[in-house]
Amino acid sequence: MMHEFSVLVVDDEEEFRDLTVRILLKRGLSARGAASGQEALEILESSHTDVVLLDVKMPGIDGIETLGEIRKRKPLIEVVLLTGHASVESGIDGMKLGAFDYLMKPIEIESLLDKLEQAYEKKRLQQEKIEQAQIKKHMAMPG
Amino acid sequence: MERKKQYYTTITRRLLIAFFCLSILPIVSFAWIMKDAVEETNIIKLQELTTSTIEHRTEVISQFLQDKINLLSLLVSIYPQDYLFNLENIEKLFLAMNSGGDIVDLQVIDVSGNQHGYVGPYRDKIKGKTYSNAPWFMETLISGVHVSDVFTGYRDTPHFVVAVTDPLKTYVLRATINSSMFNALLHSAQLGPNGDAFIVNRAGVLQTPGLLNRPELSATEKELISFDNISSSLVTEDNIYATRWIDKGHWLLVLKANIDDSLGYYLRLRDRIILIVVIISIISMSAATFASVSLSRNFEHSDKEYAALNQQFAQVEKMATVGRLAAGIAHEINNPLQMITNQAGWIGELLPDEDPSQIKNLEEYNRAVEQIKHHVQRAGTITHRLLGFSRKMSTQQESVKINDLIEETISFVDREASYNNINIVRNLAENLPATMTDGPQLQQVFLNLINNAIDAVGQNGEIQIHTRFGKNNKLVVEFADSGRGIPPENIKHLFDPFFTTKDPGKGTGLGLYISYDIIQKLGGTITAENQNSGGAVFTIVLPVISFGSKI
Repeated sequence: MMHEFSVLVVDDEEEFRDLTVRILLKRGLSARGAASGQEALEILESSHTDVVLLDVKMPGIDGIETLGEIRKRKPLIEVVLLTGHASVESGIDGMKLGAFDYLMKPIEIESLLDKLEQAYEKKRLQQEKIEQAQIKKHMAMPG
Repeated sequence: MERKKQYYTTITRRLLIAFFCLSILPIVSFAWIMKDAVEETNIIKLQELTTSTIEHRTEVISQFLQDKINLLSLLVSIYPQDYLFNLENIEKLFLAMNSGGDIVDLQVIDVSGNQHGYVGPYRDKIKGKTYSNAPWFMETLISGVHVSDVFTGYRDTPHFVVAVTDPLKTYVLRATINSSMFNALLHSAQLGPNGDAFIVNRAGVLQTPGLLNRPELSATEKELISFDNISSSLVTEDNIYATRWIDKGHWLLVLKANIDDSLGYYLRLRDRIILIVVIISIISMSAATFASVSLSRNFEHSDKEYAALNQQFAQVEKMATVGRLAAGIAHEINNPLQMITNQAGWIGELLPDEDPSQIKNLEEYNRAVEQIKHHVQRAGTITHRLLGFSRKMSTQQESVKINDLIEETISFVDREASYNNINIVRNLAENLPATMTDGPQLQQVFLNLINNAIDAVGQNGEIQIHTRFGKNNKLVVEFADSGRGIPPENIKHLFDPFFTTKDPGKGTGLGLYISYDIIQKLGGTITAENQNSGGAVFTIVLPVISFGSKI
């Protein structure tokens, strides 16, 4: 049973972005696309997102930089990196910066969905913890 | 290869020529000049000696003959004819004048040739003979004084005479010269065992026997001495001749010196020089040959080393380029592959929405979607391996015992090997040091090489795995198989990505490329060659890294 969560697909290649969004929507998820890191950051500011699927190599601010920004501004949002190229270093960098995982193209849609769901699961658990902590806090401060 | 060999032969030859020109040529030319100079000096000296000897002999002989003439002339002028015509008086005179034995006999003959007195050993033979027709007699009457050529006369023995007449030419007083005394004067002038001294008359007839016991002169000698060469001596190939006229040009005194006789010292010197030159030549030629050959060997050796090093550099460079190229291509392919799998996935998503009764081949479509995904995955596996993504992100470092790692790797393939009747021979050096390296990756390389060896052998053969501790703190691992070896044209491409000799679909051509890449990353080298016995041998050289140090 798949949870409903929202995904932001960030990729400069329009065909990939749109198709992935459509597949995710078809699977009953809420999904949007962003063509650049800049656009992604704007969308994240204005709307609710659980998981970001982020292409590492993009014109403008690249995936790693975008990742850094996302982690800074929205630390709860999980990021899955996706790349077509083999930079082991960028993979390591990504993991260090707190990406959930680092995926290599081509990846089957099923595997991708699994990975996204795992990321969401992590986010959800973390959010629950935070909420519980807040409840505790509220309960500790009556009135 | 043939050209290279010729090149080194040329170097050797040129060096030899240079050595020859610089060492042997000068020695030989010097020795040659020395030899000529010594020979020439020797001849000049001999010439001087010959000249002075003949001067002296000429004087002695002329003096001897003059003495006899003077003596006879004195007798004629002192004693009246009647006194000399008396035999007793002649005997007295002969005894008085011949104390030295220079004269054999003394004879008085009147103008008509009749004898009037004879003292000497041939009394019986000449008894009653007349001399009116004897050439010497007539010559004496004409000239007054005469020294005859050698003749036989009545006594049947070669001899010569000195004769004088009285001023009125009424009689002749004659003395026969003691030939042995006279010859002794000559022979004391002999220069060397092959030298000679003799007298010839104007006709070239020997007047005194030569020392070499020749009855007459050879034609060449006659020609050589037919002219007067008072001032200079005549040098032929073997001899030096000096000649002097004596007795007013009646006789020619000839002195012959053999050059070889006097060359004794020179010849010994020459032989010694030749010996020394030959020895020096042999020594320097062998030294030069040795030096040239070893020098060109050195050239050859360093050229080979240089070429091998160059090849190694080229290989590293090529592999780096190929690696970059492959990574670039893989990257470019990954994006379209992603699109293909996405599009197929999309079809797969949409198909369930359709009315199954409307789609005749629904199952086929589903199957096609799965197949597309499957093949994309296959392609993705290759690009991922090329990009090194399937490998660990960073090499992990752990203490690895090579021998244990090999044993473990062999255990993976033991079953397959024995199934194909392939014997895996372990030849592992004991006490090899452990090294800090990436065990799993190294094992991947070992496994790859052993699998390749099994494929190369096919069935019924042997794989030898040999480990040892090499130079410069390196571990050496060799994998040798008894297969057919690697075709020489393939050796260059062995480590290239996608190079495979296996049947299509059986090998990706990435095994050795990845092995190469891994070993390179671990700081080692991997090389392949054919053994003399036929099979291929792969050699891995790894550094021994102790804990805590970095590659």
